[in-house]
Amino acid sequence: MSDNAARRLSRMFYRISIAIEAGKDHLSDLDGAIGDADHGITMSLGFMAVNAELAKLNLDDTLPSEVFTAAASAFLDAVGASTGPLYATAFRRAAQALKQDECLSAADQAMIVEAMTTGIKERGKGQRGDKTMLDAWIPATEAAVNARARSAGGPEMWNSILEAAEAGANSTRSMVAARGRAARLGERSLGHMDPGAASAVIILRAMKDTFGEGEPAR
Amino acid sequence: MTVKTSSARKNGTVRAGAEAASEPIPLRYGDDPYVWACWLYYEDHMTQGDIAEIMGISRATVNSYLADARARGIVNISLEPSRLSSLSIAQELKRHFGLHDCLVVPSDDNTRPLIDRLGGAAAQALAKLLKSGDTLAVAWGRTILAIAEQASVPGLQDVTIVQATGGTAASFAYTPELCAAAIASAVKAKLINITAPAVVSTAEVRDMLLREPLIHSQFGALAKANKALFGISSLRPNSTIHTSGFFESVSLQQYLARDAVGVVAGRFIDGQGNPVAGPLDDRTIGISLDMLKAIGLRIAVAGGFDKVPAILAALRGGYVNVLITDAATGRGILNADGVTELDQKLSQRPRVDNTVALPSNYRTHIKKFLNDPNDVVEEMLDGVVKANAAFVMPIKGSHRALVARTGPRPGKVGLVVGGGTGHEPCFLGYVGKGLADAVAVGNIFSSPPPGTIFQCANAASGGQGVLFVYGNYAGDVMNFEMAAEIAAEHNIEVRTVVTTDDIASSPLEDREGRRGVAGNFFMFKIAGAACDRGLSLDACEAVTRKANARTFTMGVALEPCSMPQTRRHNFEIGPDDIEIGMGIHGEPGVIREKMMSADAITDRIMDRIFSEMKPAAGDRVAVLVNSFGATPMMELYILFRRVEQRLSAKDITIEANWVGHYCTSLDMVGASITVMHLDAELTELLHHPCDTAVLRIG
Repeated sequence: MSDNAARRLSRMFYRISIAIEAGKDHLSDLDGAIGDADHGITMSLGFMAVNAELAKLNLDDTLPSEVFTAAASAFLDAVGASTGPLYATAFRRAAQALKQDECLSAADQAMIVEAMTTGIKERGKGQRGDKTMLDAWIPATEAAVNARARSAGGPEMWNSILEAAEAGANSTRSMVAARGRAARLGERSLGHMDPGAASAVIILRAMKDTFGEGEPAR
Repeated sequence: MTVKTSSARKNGTVRAGAEAASEPIPLRYGDDPYVWACWLYYEDHMTQGDIAEIMGISRATVNSYLADARARGIVNISLEPSRLSSLSIAQELKRHFGLHDCLVVPSDDNTRPLIDRLGGAAAQALAKLLKSGDTLAVAWGRTILAIAEQASVPGLQDVTIVQATGGTAASFAYTPELCAAAIASAVKAKLINITAPAVVSTAEVRDMLLREPLIHSQFGALAKANKALFGISSLRPNSTIHTSGFFESVSLQQYLARDAVGVVAGRFIDGQGNPVAGPLDDRTIGISLDMLKAIGLRIAVAGGFDKVPAILAALRGGYVNVLITDAATGRGILNADGVTELDQKLSQRPRVDNTVALPSNYRTHIKKFLNDPNDVVEEMLDGVVKANAAFVMPIKGSHRALVARTGPRPGKVGLVVGGGTGHEPCFLGYVGKGLADAVAVGNIFSSPPPGTIFQCANAASGGQGVLFVYGNYAGDVMNFEMAAEIAAEHNIEVRTVVTTDDIASSPLEDREGRRGVAGNFFMFKIAGAACDRGLSLDACEAVTRKANARTFTMGVALEPCSMPQTRRHNFEIGPDDIEIGMGIHGEPGVIREKMMSADAITDRIMDRIFSEMKPAAGDRVAVLVNSFGATPMMELYILFRRVEQRLSAKDITIEANWVGHYCTSLDMVGASITVMHLDAELTELLHHPCDTAVLRIG
């Protein structure tokens, strides 16, 4: 079984699914504090659908961009909600970005994070400080870009991505929600971590664990 | 939740309990009451009540000791490794392929042939999965016969077993006729055979036979199957497919040449699960792959290493959603699909919360009428489609997109509504003549995806454009916007009115940021009437916007709701508190107050509504007093009584009113009051006839 790029991505989605499943109750509890308590369930549903869809692909002749495209529709169709369009757009942007270069190098990995963030920003019309998943994704992207600028290797880049995402997610505790359902709570949303930012960290950590396994066998 | 209580107990009750003990802790337990409690419970097999007495503490404290002891690792409960491993493989298969369920027989038990062990496991599974009223399609093979030999499912009513393929005259014991008959007798069911050969000589003969009334009616029964039971055959030289003589070997070679790897219910599939075309296709009488896929529960029973590619193909093709196999085969399937790190992943598996049984009066879960919590939306929709069959029908077979039977028509603007489930009868109860033309249905409290919404727009479109009306939530807005983009690509003009009637959700300056709640009832009614009268898309949009601007809702929750998946409250409200400004998703309200009288609550709401509505004496309104799910009609009428008093004191006339469950939030205790400030146009449209499951006028 050759370990091609598509297979790595499939494994990445698999890891994300397991990690989300493990954090499902925690995410729902976070959401219960400021939302409708279904974030964990929704995310788990979405990534389970992605897995089921990827299992149907013949990964030996699938391009990484095609893996992301398949993930986007599977996630969207299974979930709807607000995370559906956001992550579906994120995966589609990642697919578009990968079409330039399908080898999943460290530079490609940084590009994936950047493209996903762009997609989430576009679709949700949000920005940093709104107390959303972007408070994890935007710092993660900045860390990725900085790491590339100083020619850091993959493992170092992923360490700084995750560190930035975690710090970003933690910073949502002191924010007042400006978007999503929590926005209606005004200052009562203070003190709670945003569940979307928390799940973003889980996703990025699973990506780090996958890509941290070493450079791809070409 | 558990963590909080246990740490509180550790710091408080534990010491108090230990000090109050009627007996000092025996020396051998050190100073640790946890170890003592565990010894008495697990080694001396004492009841929690007896332990409480001996230790001089309450039963609840004993219980929390035992729970904490598990959490702290003082007590470990271990499963026999081979069983753990087969459970783990089952869980991975279920997750990886998105199966409904999976059962894996341990591999190390080699005392009986694999086929018997699979048969035994499947027989047990069948006893769990088969219900009264089911129609089960049964294929044939050695495995199926092994199931029949070991199955016994007493106590079911009205079960029908249908033979899934035609029959054969072959001399082996596991022919289609025999398999179906054996299963039918094991489960005491009615048997319907397909009285035609499985493979006939020409396509013409097949077509002729299928037109025969008897065979036609047998296929009708097969099409009603809601469950299927079948084996999966490989195409390896020693497989039953070859040895049984069921298929002519010349034909088999042709399928093999076209990369067929397996056979499901007499049909050939390739490695990705796609059908493989071949000479037998037009000569086969039996269930088609498409028919099989349309069956709700598709139970495949297959094992053996040579079958791995065939089972994988069947899984990839989506023909299976309950798999029964053995551990070696299961592991092989996962490995073949690139899941090579099973064991590593298993070690990362989240630890299950090992709470011991709590005292009988301690509630951890809300009781609900459920089968599998994960199927709650599908099962509800199945019920809705049947109950409301006079009003709605599925679009292209999907219960997530329903269209009115007498709604969409050429020349009329189509009205599409939708949103998450959990608000029933919103939104699907408002589909029918004179109201919404189609409804898109999401998961619980979650917007439907764009694809579903587009299907609705397409079905509702009569060439004059389509109006989307839905509540203002970030998720709904994104999904409906994406659907509108898709509709535009298909030359369907879409206009959107996002409802924002919840006056508690945002200050007046941010009217556009408010959420849409029970006032949807009025907006849908007005929009539906405008569409039904044949108004232009512009006019329909404009009058719906006006209705939205003149509709005011405020809700109050007394108790939280609970999600079917967790069966727990999704937030807590104190024993004496209420949440004012509660929305319809169980989002915490905007202000938390002490409980007050029904009139005081109504006054709080009506004061807010009046301050925005600015009514004049002589105005007319429509009123909706709506339950959030668990508040009974009795209390709704008490609220309505006060609403009427407040309105008549201002000399405002109630033109029409509704009291009941119109836009709920699962099982939340609470209610909302909606007032629509009428004018001549709105009044007329409000009285326009409509005919839906929930609302009928005229």
